[in-house]
Amino acid sequence: MELLPDFRVATPVSIAAALAAGKRHPGGRFVAGGTDLMVNLRHGIGAPTALIDLRAIPELRGIASGTGGMSIGAAVTLAELAAHPAVAAHYPAVAAAAAAVGAPAHRAAGTVGGNLCLDTRCMFYNRSAWWREANSFCLKHEGDTCHVAPTGKRCHAAFSGDLAPALLVHDAAVEIAGPDGLRRQPLADLYAEDGAAHLRLAPGEFLVRVALPPDPWPSAYAKARARGAIDFPLAGVAVALRRDGDTVAGLRVALTGTNSRPFLLEGTAALLGAAVDAAWRDRLGKLVQKQVLPMRTTLLAAQYRRRVASALAQRLAGALGGAAD
Amino acid sequence: MNVIRNTRDVVGQPTPLIDGIEKVLGQAKYTADLPAGDALVGRILRSPFSHARILRIDTEAARALPGVRAVITGADCAFTYGVLPIAMNEYPMARDVTRYRGEPLAAVAAVDEKTAEQALRLIRLEVEELPGYYTAAEARAPDAVLLHANKPGNLEREVHHRFGDVEAGFAAADLVREQVFHCAEIAHAQMELNGALVDYDAARDHLTIWSTTQVPYYVHLMLARCLEMDMSRIRVVKPFVGGGFGARVEVLNFEIVTALLARAAGSKVKMQLSREETFLTHRGRPDTEVRLKLGMTRTGKLTACAAEVVQRGGAYAGYGVVTILYAGALLQGLYQLPAIAYDGYRVYANLPPCGAMRGHGSVDVRFAFEALLDSMAADAGLDPFAVRRANLLHAPTETMNGLRVESYGLDACLDWVERASGWHDRRGKLGTGRGLGMACSHYVSGAAKPIHWTGEPHAVVHLRLDFDGGITLLTGAADIGQGSSTLMAQAAAEVLGVRLDRIRVVAADSMLTPKDNGSYSSRVTFMVGNATIDAARALRAVLVAAAAERLGAPAEDIDCEHETFRAAGSEGPGLSFADAARAALAREGGAITAKGSFTCPVEFQGGKHKGGAVGATMGFSYAAQVVEVAVDLDTGMVAVERVWVAQDCGFAINPLAVEGQMQGAVWMGMGQAVGEETRYERGLAVHSSLLDYRVPTILDSPPIALHIVESIDPNGPFGAKEASEGALAGFLPALTSAIADAIGLRVDTLPVTPDRLLEALAKRQRERRLARALEGAA
Repeated sequence: MELLPDFRVATPVSIAAALAAGKRHPGGRFVAGGTDLMVNLRHGIGAPTALIDLRAIPELRGIASGTGGMSIGAAVTLAELAAHPAVAAHYPAVAAAAAAVGAPAHRAAGTVGGNLCLDTRCMFYNRSAWWREANSFCLKHEGDTCHVAPTGKRCHAAFSGDLAPALLVHDAAVEIAGPDGLRRQPLADLYAEDGAAHLRLAPGEFLVRVALPPDPWPSAYAKARARGAIDFPLAGVAVALRRDGDTVAGLRVALTGTNSRPFLLEGTAALLGAAVDAAWRDRLGKLVQKQVLPMRTTLLAAQYRRRVASALAQRLAGALGGAAD
Repeated sequence: MNVIRNTRDVVGQPTPLIDGIEKVLGQAKYTADLPAGDALVGRILRSPFSHARILRIDTEAARALPGVRAVITGADCAFTYGVLPIAMNEYPMARDVTRYRGEPLAAVAAVDEKTAEQALRLIRLEVEELPGYYTAAEARAPDAVLLHANKPGNLEREVHHRFGDVEAGFAAADLVREQVFHCAEIAHAQMELNGALVDYDAARDHLTIWSTTQVPYYVHLMLARCLEMDMSRIRVVKPFVGGGFGARVEVLNFEIVTALLARAAGSKVKMQLSREETFLTHRGRPDTEVRLKLGMTRTGKLTACAAEVVQRGGAYAGYGVVTILYAGALLQGLYQLPAIAYDGYRVYANLPPCGAMRGHGSVDVRFAFEALLDSMAADAGLDPFAVRRANLLHAPTETMNGLRVESYGLDACLDWVERASGWHDRRGKLGTGRGLGMACSHYVSGAAKPIHWTGEPHAVVHLRLDFDGGITLLTGAADIGQGSSTLMAQAAAEVLGVRLDRIRVVAADSMLTPKDNGSYSSRVTFMVGNATIDAARALRAVLVAAAAERLGAPAEDIDCEHETFRAAGSEGPGLSFADAARAALAREGGAITAKGSFTCPVEFQGGKHKGGAVGATMGFSYAAQVVEVAVDLDTGMVAVERVWVAQDCGFAINPLAVEGQMQGAVWMGMGQAVGEETRYERGLAVHSSLLDYRVPTILDSPPIALHIVESIDPNGPFGAKEASEGALAGFLPALTSAIADAIGLRVDTLPVTPDRLLEALAKRQRERRLARALEGAA
C-alpha cells in the first residue's frame, strides 16, 4: 500500500455546490464509493488536489419507479440496487449485474455512477508506481508504449464495469450535470473505444441519474470470472429478449470486459423473427465473436474471453428465448 | 511410549484455542499493531532490473533530505544469510549484482512515510544490465550467464538417487506409462503482511526485534551474523502471527534490513511491507516440471518408478536444496515401491526466490504420481481404490531410502472416504460434467535431522510453578495460528492432572523462553509436544513427592486427577493441588522450574546416502480424499462441489484444531489446483495483489466432510503425528481424477484455470477431428 497524495475533501450537498467545487479545484476528482479510485491513487495513478464526494447530494440518491420507468440515482450503492425488489422484478439483468460486482464490501461502498465511470483496466496499468516505472510506464499513463500491442497507437485497457451492459440492454439514458447545466443522453454515448479516454465526460461533469424506460423486456446478465466473487469480469454479457410466441421479436445484447467500452452488439436485427434453436444460438455466438476485441490485458487468455463471451451470450439468449433443445 | 493415562481429560477433547479470544475480539497484537511510539519509518528501494551488475548507488541526495535518519545499501552489510549453512548466498541488500526485480538494493529510515518515500526517489542507480532468465530451460541453456559464479549450468543442486533395480522393475511390469506434468509456481498468500519493528538501544548496543516469523531462532542467528553482534545482545520476540504456511520459515531480507536501519539510525524503526512487497519476498512453491514413469502389474502392484523433477527456484538458494531432496525422498513412505530412480534439478532464475510451502517439496510430485496412477488404473480396468490397496505399507517398516514408518493408517483413511463418498455407487454415474476422483498423500511430522547440528535436543520446554499455583509453560515454539500453544497447554494439563486454564503459555521470546527451531516441517506437535510431556512429568514427580510426604504414602502410589492428589485405593479427601504446590515449594526451596526435552533418536534421522536426512521423520501422517466436481463445458469453470477427507494424525490431541488444519490443507490444495499461480512479465510480478493472485473465495469453497483416523504412533505425544500438511497434496490429483470422470479429459497442467480447460477441450476436439479425417482418408 502506497501513501495517498495530499488532497482536500469536499462534501457538497447540492448539484450546484458540487459544480462549484469542481470549478474551484480544477485538479480535483469526483468520488462516491472510491472502490476504484482509491486503489489507483494508492498506486500513484493521479494525484488529485481535491476529492469531491458526491454522496450527500439528494438528486443523486434513491431509486424511483413509476409509469415512466425507473430512475436510479448515481450515488445509489450497488448493494441497494441489487436488493431493490422492483429492479429485480422488472430489470433482472440490472439486479444481477449489481450483485455480481466485486465482493459484499465493494457493493456496500461502490455506487451506480462509480461503476459506470469505472476506469479501464489492464495488467500493465493497475500496478504500483514501482512496477509501472520498472516497466517504462504505458500509453495509458505516463508512458508512450502500449505493452499489450506495442506497435499500435491506442490503449487497449478493458472496460470492466458490470452494470453498463445490463443498463444498455434496457436502453438506459443518463443524466449528466456539468458547467453548462443538466443534459440527458443514451448511456451508450457515454463511452468511446479508447482505453485511455473511454469516458465522454467533459471536465467538471458528473453523472446524476440513470433512467430506464418502462415496459422492459425480460433480461439476464452473466459474467465470466475465475472465482465466484471479487474478480472483475473477464467478459460480461447482458441480454434482453422479447418473444412473440416461439420467435424472437426483440433482442439486445451488450458486452463488457472485452473492449475498452461496454457496447451493444450490432446486427442483432438479423436474428429476429426466428425461434431460438441451436443454429440461431450459433449465429448469435459468431456475431459476438466477431465484435468483441479482447486483448492481453488480463492474466487469463484473451482468446478465452472471446470464447466465453460468445458462450454466455448463447446461454442467456437460449434461456430467455425458451430454447426448445 | 507416551500414552500415560487411560482416561483423558484434556487431550482428545475439542478445545478452542487458548489465544482465540483475543483474535475474535480484535485485541490480538500483530507486529503492525504493536505500539511503535516515535519509531522511524523504514522503506526499501527495490531493484527494477531482473539481472544487472551494480556500478553505483548514489544516496547523497537521499541522505541530505531533511527528516532522513539513515540510508543504507548493500555496502553496509557484507554478510550473506540463508537458512541452510551450506547455501547462504543472499545479501540483505544486493551487492555487486542484483538478480531479480524486487530485490532490496537500499533502505531508508525517516521521520515519516512521505519523507521515506521521497528519499527513495532520490536514490540514483547505475547498472550494467545482464540477460534475465525466467524459465528453467532458459537458465539451463549452455550459453546462459551464470547467476552465481560457483554454480555451473545455473544449477543450485542436482540429485541422482537410485534404490532397487529400476530396469528389472519396469521389465516386470505389465503396464508402463510415462507422462510430463507441470505445476505453476504458487505463493502462500498469508493474510498478515510482512513487517518488523526493531528497537536498537545505542547506549547499550542491544537490539530487540518483533517480527512476522515462524522461526525466531533462525532470525536470531542471522541477525547476529549480519550485524556482527553477540547473540546475547539480541532479543527476538514473535507477536501474534497471521499465517505462515512456510513463507516465514527462514529469516527474510526485510528483517535484517530493518535491523541494519535501526542500528544505523541508532533508533527504533518500523518496517511495514505492502502486499506487493510481501509477494516479492516470496519463498513459495517453485514452478515444477515432473517427468514420471511408473510400472505396474496387472493386479495394480507397482514395480518401479522413475522421476525427473525440475524446479525453477528463483534467484537465491533459500531452502532449495531441501526442496529438491524432499521431492525425491517423499516419493517413498506412502506406498510399497520396490525400485526408484530419482533425478532432481534445482535451477536458478531471475525471479524472487522460492522456499518452503505447506507440503514442502512433496506436493507437485505427489500430484504427478497419483494422477499417473489414476490413469494407469483406468487403462488396466482397475478401481483407483484397489490400486492403492495393492500397494499399502505395513508398519513398522523402513523404506528403501531409510524412512521409518512406525504407524500407518492409510487403509482406514481409504475405507472411510470410499464409503462416505458413495464411491462405488456414484463414480462414473453422475452424468456428463460431473465426476468423482480420489487420491492419497502423506507428510512428515518434523524433520528428524535439525538444520544446525549443535548437540542439543530437538525441543526444550520449561514449566514454572510458584506461590500463586499457576503453571507457566515456557516454549520457544512459534504459534502462528496453528494452535501449538493450546496443544502444549493441553499436553501439560493432561500429564499433571490439572485444569487447562492453570497452564499459561509464554512463547517465542528469546529473553524468556528456551530455544526452539521453529514452526516448520510440522515438527511442533511431535517434538515440542513430547518435550512438554517430559517437562510435565518432571514437574509431576516433584509434586507427587511432596504430596506423598503429606499423605504418608509411597510416591509410586500417588496419582493426581482433577487437581487432587490421592494414594491408590485411598478413600480420603486427598490433597488439593494448591496444598501439594505449597508443600512442593517448601520442599524444593521456592519457585520450581521443571525442564523437559525431546531428541529424535539417530536411527530415525534418515538413510546414509547423500541427502538422506531430508524426508526422514519419526512419523508420517496419511490422508485419502475424494473430490466431486461439476465442469461447465461452456465456460471451462470447474466447481468443486464436495470433498471427503480422512487423515491419520496418530492421535488428535485437539480434534477441533485438527479439523481446522485438515480443512485448511484441503482448501490450500484446492487453491493450487484451480486458480493460484504466480505470473511474471519479463520478471515483473503481475500476480502481486489479492485480485490477481486468485485465492479461492468462500463462494468457491465446498463443504468438506472430515474423518480423523488415529493410528496411535508409538513415539508421538499421546500417539499424535502431524495434522496440517498431509491432506494438501492429495487434493490436486483427486481433482484432476474427478475432471477425468466428469468429461474424460486428463489434465496434466496446474492450475486448471477456465482458459486452460477450454483450450484443452478445444485441443481434444481438434485431435478427434483429425483422427476422424485420417480414418476417413484410410
